[in-house]
Parts: sequence; C-alpha cells; structure tokens
Amino acid sequence: MTTALKLRELLRNGIHRIGELELLSDVYGFPYAICHMADAELATEPAFGGLEVHEGPNDARDLSTYGVDGTYRFTKGQVNLKRGWVMPLETEEDLRIALDQFYPACVGLFLAQQGGTLEIEMLRDKLNRQTGMYRFARSISDAGAQKLVQEVCGPAHQCAKKILWKLDPTTPLDDSEASRFNGIPSDLTEAESIPLLCREACNHFVAECRKAAKAEFEAKAATEKQA
Amino acid sequence: MSIAPKPNSALLIVGHGSTENPDSSTPYFDHADEIRRRNLFAEVHCCFWKEEPSMREAFYLIDAEEVYVVPDFISEGYFTQDVIPRELNLTGPTTIVRGKTFHYCLPVGVHRSMTDLILKRAKDVAPGVDPATTTLIITGHGTGLNQNSTKAIRDQVDLIIAAGAGYAAVLDAYMEEPPFIAEWDQMSPTPNVVIVPFFISDGLHSFQDIPVLLGIETEVGAAASQREVFRQNPHSLRGKTLFYSSAIGTERLLADVILDQVSDFDQLHQNQ
Repeated sequence: MTTALKLRELLRNGIHRIGELELLSDVYGFPYAICHMADAELATEPAFGGLEVHEGPNDARDLSTYGVDGTYRFTKGQVNLKRGWVMPLETEEDLRIALDQFYPACVGLFLAQQGGTLEIEMLRDKLNRQTGMYRFARSISDAGAQKLVQEVCGPAHQCAKKILWKLDPTTPLDDSEASRFNGIPSDLTEAESIPLLCREACNHFVAECRKAAKAEFEAKAATEKQA
Repeated sequence: MSIAPKPNSALLIVGHGSTENPDSSTPYFDHADEIRRRNLFAEVHCCFWKEEPSMREAFYLIDAEEVYVVPDFISEGYFTQDVIPRELNLTGPTTIVRGKTFHYCLPVGVHRSMTDLILKRAKDVAPGVDPATTTLIITGHGTGLNQNSTKAIRDQVDLIIAAGAGYAAVLDAYMEEPPFIAEWDQMSPTPNVVIVPFFISDGLHSFQDIPVLLGIETEVGAAASQREVFRQNPHSLRGKTLFYSSAIGTERLLADVILDQVSDFDQLHQNQ
C-alpha cells in the first residue's frame, strides 16, 4: 500500500492533525483540505469562511517558507505557520505531496515508526559526518550537546518535533521539556494527530553545535593561557 | 531528448539547500513541480544536504522500488562523488538499498545540453545586444580544494566557443580563484559584458556575494525573494554596459536536463 493510501486510512481512523495543520475530509466537494489548526472551524464554513483558497498542493512550499512574522522557517518543525489560508485537495496523493512540503517526510517517518522500520541516527554519528566549516561541530562535549538540546529544541524554542535520537547509543538525552516533548503541538493525542518525528539532529542544531564547540575551544584556550 | 514514462519509478532530485537562505532550494522544488506535471514518474521528490528532508530521510518519502537519483548540482566533485553516495548508501551506478534499486545519474551541470541553456540565458538577459560587441563570462565559485569545481565551467566555455555563438570573447571567472570575477571589466575587451552565474540557485553567492564583487552593490543585500525591487539590467559600470543574469539553475528548462541525465543513465547502462 502506498504512503498516500496509508494516509487515507489514518484519516478514516480518526487522525485529523499533523503539526500545526488541520487535515479536513469531505469539504465542499473536495475529498481533502488542509489549513492552520486555528482556522479549522472557519474552513468548514461556506466559501471556506473567507480563507484564502490555494487549490492543489503547489503552493504548500510558499505557505510554509516564511513564518507568521515573515521570517524564514529554516526548520520545518517550527510552530509559526501562517494562518488565513485553506488548501483543498483532489486526491490523497495531492494531500501527501502537500504535507511533504509542510513537514518533509514526516508522514513516511511516522509510518516507518509504526511499522518498526524507522532507523534513528545518533548525534555523534551525524556530527562525525560533517565536513568543511561544520567539521568543528564534532568536538562539542557531551555536556555542551545536552545543554544545546535544552536551548535549541522543543516547543519553547519553536520546534515541535519529538526527538528520537540520543548522543550515542548509550547516552540518552537529559530529561527536559525538549527531550520529553511528544511531537504534537496541541492538546490532541496520538489517536488524532500524527506526531512530528526527529530521527536525526537537524542542520540548525549542527550549526549551533559548531558555535558551541568553538566557544568551548576558545574558553579552554583562554583558561590554559591564564594558567 | 524525450524520455519514456517510468510509471513504476521514483525520481529523487538532490540539492544542497540552506538553513540561511530561503531561495536556495527554490529551483529544486520548481524542477520537481515541472517534472511532476509531466506525469513521467510515479513520484518526484527532493532532498538536501543542508535542508529538510535530508538525504537519509528521503528513503521514507519513496514508495517505488526503483529510484533515479539526479544530483541537481553544477559540477562533479565532493558532493556528488562523496557526500551523496555516502548519505544514500550508493556504491556504484546501481545499488540495492534496503530492497530498493537506486540508479545514480550524473549531475545536471555536466550535461552537454547546459550549453544551450547558457546561450539562451545570455540572450534573454541582453535582448538585442550584438554578440560581436559582447563578452560572455560564465562565473562560478571556484576553490583550490577541488579541480572539478571549475572544470564544468571551463568545459562550457570551450563548448560555447566551438558552437560559434558569435561572442567577441567567452571567458570563465570565479569568486575565490583566478581569473577573479571581481576583475570582469579588465578581462573583457568589449563595451558590453554578459555574466551568467553557473549556480543552481539565486542564493548567497549569485545574488548577494557576486553583485558586490561586480560593483553592482556596495554591500551584501537581502535574499532575492526578499527584495522589493529586483535588480535592473543593464548596469553602467567601470566604463562598460553590464548585463547580469540570475543563476543558470533557475532556468525552468533545467528540468529537461534532469530528465536528460536519467535518459543518459539508461542508455549508458542499458537500463531500458
């Protein structure tokens, strides 16, 4: 069964949310529609409640590139999607294409997790593959990486993904709001919402690791110089 | 070159991407949209090195058992020879990874049809300008780290000269190695100069860095999509008339080059 058909089954079984998106079924002649979760009631009113209509999946990337404050959404787990639009869709394949623009691969990641085939990538593996200017990121200390998770990840820092990775296979993340977060930026349960899954540290986190590693290096050098 | 539909295959377009510049990945998605519209593949996806979805996440996007991977990169080099094969677990032209068959095509930038795209872009940006009074400069990044990064551009210069397009001079120039693009006026023997950036996207280099080197801008500006007014050609600078085009990768016809690379892969490897 294709990802699109599995997605259809999920919706038939009660799923109606992923991230900040409400997934609507059978709306004014369209089998599917998506909108910001805060616009869910408006979208079911006549003429989609006056929401700006973007028919088909092609505008999904434009709608998700900039946040409500106009800034570039450099990670897709950010909880700052714009409101005021609705996207009617003709097929479950179009629904899948649209969702893969808003939340890249997140439907597939969830299905793989459900099927027991999702492979998780540890932070150290990810950092050790960095080259060029990001090579320095691999020298970050465990303590520095643990601190960064709490300063960069989680809904308090605009990322609504559930972190699945550890520092390495034997070093789990320290307990925090970020490490506990379930990937659902609303009060719904997993019976109603597909969680956003983070199977590998994102490039923003890698970039922050590089900065932190450099700061650690400079601090150590300054200490040694004083000694 | 036409391509036979592949209704049971996926096309995976691989790009660099950026967490800094919103325009960096736009051409890749445009190319994917264009190819998707033609209904040639069961699925068309993009993945990136520095943006979501990552190359390792791409596996979770794909349903098809057969996957054509086309690097939407401008040259053969570190990314196409090291990073992409490593990230996708590719060990040769065709690799079976977790039950799926991946075919690894050459990057778009080395395809022979890029020559026509460059000439089209040069003509579009300077309509009505006589090539006989014009120097055409193809510019790229350049780096001492990899000789291949400039080879694609030097090859294109040779091909354009051989094609007899009529330009008074056709030159290559780079940001970080000689001949330097900052010296465009000194290397150009004609009153008119057309510069085509050999990059995939109007990202940091082609839209923000090179205009400063050319003298169009005094400082690095905002990203292309965040400009209220797009730059206007021509520019009267350093005693010459300069026409500066957007990156070659933003050309919609680059979608055809992606398909050409799939066709070439099939022909080369008898994968019909």
